Amino acid sequence: MGSAVRSALIRLCEFLLTALLVSFLTFSAFAIIPGDTARVMLGPEASEEQVEALREELGLNVPLAERYVDWLGNAFRGDFGKSLSFGSPVGDLIASRLPVTLGMSLIALVFVVAVSFPMAAICSRNPGSIKDKSLSTAGHILFAIPPFALSMVLILFFSKVLHIFTAGRYTAPSDNFGAYVVSLLLPSLCIALPKIAMTFKFLRASMIEFSQGDFVRTAKSHGLSDLSILIKHIIPNSAVSSITVISLVLSDIMGGSLIVEQVFNLPGLGRLLLAAISRRDFPLLSGIVFYLAMMTVILYFLADVISAVIDPRIRDGRAS
Amino acid sequence: MSYKGHILEVNNLCLSLSNGSSAPVRILNDLTFNVRSGEILGLIGDSGSGKTMTALAVSGLLSDFAHVDSGEIIFEGEDLVKKSPKQRRLLLGEKIGVIFQDPSSALDPLQTVESNLSEIIRLRSGDKEEGRERILRMLKTVGFDDPEETAKRYPHRLSGGQRQRVLIAGAALMNPSLLIADEPTSSLDTVTSMSIMQLLHEMCQEMGISILFISHNLNAVRNFCDRVMVMKEGTIIDSDTSWDIMGQPKSAFTAELLLKSRLDPKSLGITQGKAEEGAPVVLSAEDICAGYQYSYFRRSKTPLVISDVSFDIRKGESVGLIGSSGCGKTTLVKTILGLLKPESGSIHRSGKIAAVFQDPVSSLNPAHTVRWHLDEALMAAGIKMSADEKKNHFLKVLEDVGLSGKHLTRFPHQMSGGQRQKAAIAMCLVQDPSVIIADEPFSALDASSQASVIKLLSDINTKHGTTMLIVSHNLRVIKAMCSKVIVMDKGRIVESGDTDKVLDNPVSDATAALLKARMYEA
Repeated sequence: MGSAVRSALIRLCEFLLTALLVSFLTFSAFAIIPGDTARVMLGPEASEEQVEALREELGLNVPLAERYVDWLGNAFRGDFGKSLSFGSPVGDLIASRLPVTLGMSLIALVFVVAVSFPMAAICSRNPGSIKDKSLSTAGHILFAIPPFALSMVLILFFSKVLHIFTAGRYTAPSDNFGAYVVSLLLPSLCIALPKIAMTFKFLRASMIEFSQGDFVRTAKSHGLSDLSILIKHIIPNSAVSSITVISLVLSDIMGGSLIVEQVFNLPGLGRLLLAAISRRDFPLLSGIVFYLAMMTVILYFLADVISAVIDPRIRDGRAS
Repeated sequence: MSYKGHILEVNNLCLSLSNGSSAPVRILNDLTFNVRSGEILGLIGDSGSGKTMTALAVSGLLSDFAHVDSGEIIFEGEDLVKKSPKQRRLLLGEKIGVIFQDPSSALDPLQTVESNLSEIIRLRSGDKEEGRERILRMLKTVGFDDPEETAKRYPHRLSGGQRQRVLIAGAALMNPSLLIADEPTSSLDTVTSMSIMQLLHEMCQEMGISILFISHNLNAVRNFCDRVMVMKEGTIIDSDTSWDIMGQPKSAFTAELLLKSRLDPKSLGITQGKAEEGAPVVLSAEDICAGYQYSYFRRSKTPLVISDVSFDIRKGESVGLIGSSGCGKTTLVKTILGLLKPESGSIHRSGKIAAVFQDPVSSLNPAHTVRWHLDEALMAAGIKMSADEKKNHFLKVLEDVGLSGKHLTRFPHQMSGGQRQKAAIAMCLVQDPSVIIADEPFSALDASSQASVIKLLSDINTKHGTTMLIVSHNLRVIKAMCSKVIVMDKGRIVESGDTDKVLDNPVSDATAALLKARMYEA
């Protein structure tokens, strides 16, 4: 297992390097944006003294490298500075929105995996059949509907027709965990549906390819039934190749979904991001962007580690 | 269970393929043959003759597009055609074992050898501990010295020959009465092929397993099978004991097949490509060391695959490069072509070098026509021509390789294996190279196409004076075509010189081993 430990360590180093690079790029992106940050924030009406005062307050007069080191040191301790528009620390603001965004992400992920794998498996057993064609078409339709339309249709259906969901009511997990999960179910489904379509499309192709593969033929020659071949060989192999796609999907969801949050009136990260942009709240904005970037990097790191755990070829440092 | 007489009788079997929309195509036509208890029956024929379809029909692994129209397949006294899919499925692995051509991806890469094999036992709800014992015993039987260790390995850590052994272990695990082997050695090198065939022979002798051995390799069949059948267009046209069929073939087709497989230089009309007196060196290597690195973190200790390789090749010469798999032949080719940077040493080339590879299916782009491939080869070589010149050039080259203008608009899937390989050779020729490197250019082809591609390469060498470096594990081809030979073993050149001298009086063990395995050559 020496090779497994070593490859994990190598991945960890790669991860830390990437994280450092991402943080630098995020930071400098906001420093390099043309024009004077303080001037942009205060608007053209502000006097030169006010702008200068803000520059001083934001530390914009200090050289970039020094500011980055300072910022990195603070970020390392979880301090991303103070939001200009909310007046509270950026870290706290992001943390307060995480229950909604992370909860939705997790539930959406469960939907994506639980629906796309069985769908793909059904289609791959008989490609070109009526079952396959209708499921594939359903996937394409889901992919094509814009999220806001989908959200409204689902709200109408579940709250006006079935009366099992009240739109616009959010319960914090600390108040009532069950109610918190229930309040997130429908929005998560809205986020998940297009992603299900995407993951399904990928998995279907991958499962069809594997089911025509040599090791499946070997399993057939061992006398295994189609179902056990699907469970024992095709699904695990497709899972390995789909890890990248699923991590892409997840990193997309983790950024929060502005439209779904807006429609369902949820205090998620998407709306915080919108507020930061519209109020020119640069500390908040850079905090959120940094969070998003880190989430993506962490997810990719986890995807790599999971792939290595499942696939012995990756453990041995060989591309399949 | 022992069954006296015929273990398998196929009577008047007709089988068609249809994809639903077009009219069904008859693949097997009134096929009748039998396999006697405890014998090895060889089945030979060109590609497309229905050999593999026969194997699939008997084993019950036919795709949904294939349909048995009439006839019977009687296995141990029962007609398989009348059985339900489930009954047939349960015979597989239990009474009928099957192994296929290419072992490289025939094991699930995510599972250990043991787990790949244990599914056979688990399906039959055998005792777990006893099943493990059985697997270890069988791994030992197929030639693994340390079965415990092998059982824990993952497939990617096994060589091609080892994987095929594992697959044979799986096929023989439940002690079947019939083993169907469909080209089990054609993707393996000669030395490995020989050991696999010896293994199958032992299993037949010691375990009493009857074997249906399908191959396009006449020499293997000749030395290995009790009886041989020749198949053409879905039916058996010749069948007798090995000796008779090889000595005095009844049909003209078998006679031709035999002649082609013998690769007799005279009947093919080829001679060894020699350099003229004082011809200049066009390709030389000096102390090349090369290897692969998988990760940039381990740059310091790249394991060397080839070391201290030096040679000179003169203009017009045809040189053979031989050695068992894993000896570094392909790595050397990659280094010469500049696809791999050597760790040390240097390569001198004069003029253009073009290459032909083993598998003509994957070396052509399925989305493009032959014309596109020729165009691209021309562009890659930096040759500019007017449209008219280009057209004439292409036509001439196609004619040279034995294709014609109508092939310009063909896609790879519209051509046979031999035609595809010729198209790949045409791609070399449009560049007007001084050296052509051919890496196992024949081994993926059937006997007829093999003979024509060999003749083609030899003609290019003798008529155009193009220098050839031919990598092959087929010593007879090398002997017929090449005046010089280089023998590699474990990444080093162990012997080189005049082909006739080296092959008649080998000084190294590696050459001797290659010569010994020769009787199983395709």
